[in-house]
Amino acid sequence: MSGPSPSSRKGLSKIACNRLQKELVEWQVNPPVGFKHKATDNLQRWVIEVNGAPGTLYANETYQLQVDFPEHYPMEAPQVIFIPPAPLHPHIYSNGHICLDILYDSWSPAMTVSSICISILSMLSSSTVKQRPADNDRYVKNCRNGRSPKETRWWFHDDKV
Amino acid sequence: MSPTVDAAAVAKQAEQLRQEGNFCFKKDRFGAAIDAYTEAIALCPNVPIYWTNRALCHRKRNDWKRVEEDCRRAIQIDHHSVKAHYMLGLALLERQEYAEGVKELEKSLDLGRGANPQGYMVEEIWLELAKAKYMEWEHVSTKRSWELQSLKEICEAALKEKQLLDSSHTKGFLDENTKSNAEQLEALSKVFQKAAENDIPTEVPDYLCCKISLDIFRDPVITPGGVTYERAVILDHLEKVGRFDPITREPLYKSQLVPNLAIKEAVRAFLNKHGWGYKMD
Repeated sequence: MSGPSPSSRKGLSKIACNRLQKELVEWQVNPPVGFKHKATDNLQRWVIEVNGAPGTLYANETYQLQVDFPEHYPMEAPQVIFIPPAPLHPHIYSNGHICLDILYDSWSPAMTVSSICISILSMLSSSTVKQRPADNDRYVKNCRNGRSPKETRWWFHDDKV
Repeated sequence: MSPTVDAAAVAKQAEQLRQEGNFCFKKDRFGAAIDAYTEAIALCPNVPIYWTNRALCHRKRNDWKRVEEDCRRAIQIDHHSVKAHYMLGLALLERQEYAEGVKELEKSLDLGRGANPQGYMVEEIWLELAKAKYMEWEHVSTKRSWELQSLKEICEAALKEKQLLDSSHTKGFLDENTKSNAEQLEALSKVFQKAAENDIPTEVPDYLCCKISLDIFRDPVITPGGVTYERAVILDHLEKVGRFDPITREPLYKSQLVPNLAIKEAVRAFLNKHGWGYKMD
């Protein structure tokens, strides 16, 4: 969306660059179903189009994910947010921040952009109600100074999604 | 004065000369550094680091003959010197002694990994080694593809000639003859295509690549969960992310990592057949 996030101000390390190039090649050969990478020449910020899965609450809806990679990716998780308007979901805030453990405490360097996308789609698909998290207004107000979701101390509402 | 005191004093003086050499080296004054190391060597010829430091100065000046000489002396004193084998390898590659140069680089890589698997030397040596192997492959594969191409042309010409000869003996069934002739030519072309396959760069198979770096394995290690990772990468993960196996998420400690020699052999066999896999970027 706006300016670069604090974690992505530094350029990618050689290792990060190498790995992202390989992920991109793999994505082009074998993209996850329901996702489209919007081609840019910026390896450090990917914009990805998400299509709600058929037969779920989000069928026929399209959203955009923004993925920013830190200097030491994949030893550090990327920052993943929805570019507003974000889907109405109990774990997605109106500013696009996503409450999903693998993006924060449960990150593992064996995960890829592709596997993150699949997790996010499965989180959307399993939702039974279209509503914002209970603390949405308070949270979004606290983020007004441009705070990254990676600096949030998340408590994960449940481990089902 | 006793002889031992003398020896200690001489060693101390040589050490001072080395410091002086190092100081000059850092200022890019390689000539002055060489003079200091040479004096140190004159005092204590049995200290390998004086030889390798001087070799490094010669390397900076592209004086590869002297690099080779100094490295060989250093190896005589200490055949475990990572730097001596490394620079000797580079010097040999410089005079296009590929096989010998690669052997020295491999030796220094093994020694370097033993000393410090995450050290900068290991990465630097690997890159030089990969570069040399890639150049060697380029050289050999270009020659191979020329030879195959000319052999293919000869075989095609011979086959066509034979087909022409056969058709002059048999009358009739012209359509059938033409068809089988075309099939033979196609089969021949497929044989040659197959023969060239190994030299065509494609993707390295996933099972020979680390799940974190997505790069071909160099020094693979296996976890108790049975997952294989690149050593330097999993060590980095254990240090920075957490003490768990990135795939199984089971607890994992450095001491539990064991070399995966079978995968290492498989990588070696793959690269021997597909030298293009050494391309690093």
